Amino acid sequence: MNKTYFFLIVIVVLLGAGALFIPEERFTEELPPDQLFLKMNDPSRFVTTDQVARAIIDGDPNILIVDTRSADQYEAFNLPGSVNIPLEELIDSTGNIDERWEDYLGIEGMYIAFYSNGDVCADQAWVLCTRLGINDLFVMRGGLNRWVETILKPSPPEQTAPGEEFALYDFRKGASMYFGGGGAIEVEEQSAVPVTPVRKKKKQVISGGC
Amino acid sequence: MGPLIANGYIDPAWNNVIALLVGIAFGYILEASGFSSSRKLAGVFYGYDFVVLRVFMTAVMVAMVGLVYFNYMGWIDLSQIFILPTYMTSVIVGGVIMGLGFVMGGFCPGTSFTGVAVGKLDALFFSIGLYLGIFIFSLAFPWLEKIYYGGDLGPITLMESLGISRGLFTFLFVLATLGAFWVASMVKKRVKDIEI
Amino acid sequence: MQTNTEDRSKRYINPYFGGVLLGLLLLFTIFITGRGLGASGAVKSSVVATVDRVAPSYAVKQDYLKKFISDTQRPMNNWLVFETIGIFAGAFLSGLFAGRVKKFRVEHSPKITPKTRLIYATLGGMLFGIGSQFGRGCTSGAALSGTATMATAGFLAMILIFGSGYMFAYFFRKLWI
Repeated sequence: MNKTYFFLIVIVVLLGAGALFIPEERFTEELPPDQLFLKMNDPSRFVTTDQVARAIIDGDPNILIVDTRSADQYEAFNLPGSVNIPLEELIDSTGNIDERWEDYLGIEGMYIAFYSNGDVCADQAWVLCTRLGINDLFVMRGGLNRWVETILKPSPPEQTAPGEEFALYDFRKGASMYFGGGGAIEVEEQSAVPVTPVRKKKKQVISGGC
Repeated sequence: MGPLIANGYIDPAWNNVIALLVGIAFGYILEASGFSSSRKLAGVFYGYDFVVLRVFMTAVMVAMVGLVYFNYMGWIDLSQIFILPTYMTSVIVGGVIMGLGFVMGGFCPGTSFTGVAVGKLDALFFSIGLYLGIFIFSLAFPWLEKIYYGGDLGPITLMESLGISRGLFTFLFVLATLGAFWVASMVKKRVKDIEI
Repeated sequence: MQTNTEDRSKRYINPYFGGVLLGLLLLFTIFITGRGLGASGAVKSSVVATVDRVAPSYAVKQDYLKKFISDTQRPMNNWLVFETIGIFAGAFLSGLFAGRVKKFRVEHSPKITPKTRLIYATLGGMLFGIGSQFGRGCTSGAALSGTATMATAGFLAMILIFGSGYMFAYFFRKLWI
């Protein structure tokens, strides 16, 4: 047999045998650890409760608010227009985003703000999703605890405080009324803002064949 | 990452340009391998020329092995590539008819186009036949519909059908291909050459 | 000089080398577009386009053809049509470099007349056309690309095309040997 052919056969068999040992993983576009670290240290990944409140009041269609607490807690109280994705159910057994949430996460041009009671669960959800290559994620700093402190029961600033703080306080008072917190006017328990999250377009289906 | 167009790495506007370039390469490779000659092609059925077997099986093998590695490297999302849907009855009927057409006409559609390009009249007639055949099929479709949609299994893959992993099938396919090349070279030695 | 060109036109590239090139092209095509190569689809598009032009009202209600007619895209504005135009161009280039492009002639076994060859070529083409619709692709679209992407239909098509070719080969041996 020709020497070249023998050489080629060896290469082909080796490559084929290599295929045997390659794990058949589902494809993921993971963020390398060094880039994840840089992103984690970027303070712009946090949003304030005021920014979230404003987004809800304005009905900003480009922002999706995600509740990372358990379903029971979500039932008991949630931010109007938020979607419940419990942290425990975010990732499925294969290490990818669970199929149920694929429609919400990773939509082009959509900003996502995670919140939980404090910072911890929302932060974990942020790290998991960022690691899986999803962009434009944010964490509501302070979680619902700060939400109650700042939006639902705002305390007036000191008399000597600068004017911006008074403007902020005015906004918070208005927001407090909007969200039906300790304000003077009782509004409906649940906000009238309907929950209509934008769903991700299905992956482009490739047609083919002759 | 891949497929590049579906994932927005390349603008879909380039689709037709890429199609043209791919086609040029495809036609060039087919013609340069000798696929523009019906007598060379038909040789695979009579054992005097195995160019079809060699080119075809090598190509499938290279692409199959390549996809395994591309997937491993994260370069291509295999869930996003087009999988031909399986209609069991339809593909069996179609395959048998195509085999008959192959041995009668000595071409398959792609190769007949390369034949036309270098001036083979028989290739031109084959292409006209193709056109007529598809036209007849569409006229007769109401009667053929049952077969066409028969045995619908959806876009299933060999891994699901056979219950083995992609890697194992790829390895077995490589071995089978090399075996087929060996058998072909044995047969070629026994069959007397003909002047094409 | 005449014999020299004659020899050159018989010189083809090594089939295994051709196969590797074709395999890489297929891989590259799947990598970029997510779909494989094809050929018969272009003929189907031209059938659809012709019927659509000649009898538009028939085409839109014809059970088979209407599947391939859309309001947004003309039938000939199709990936496979452009690819097929490329096939012609590429084959012509290759033939030109190798000195295989000549005026129209019929290639046939010395035992049969050109007329017989043309009749059988047309018949074979018709069968292949019908079969490719049942198989949802031809040797390139179904068998080659289908098998490479592990589609069951593609693998079956490959086995069946060559299997039935060998099965019927005996009956048509006079055409070739």
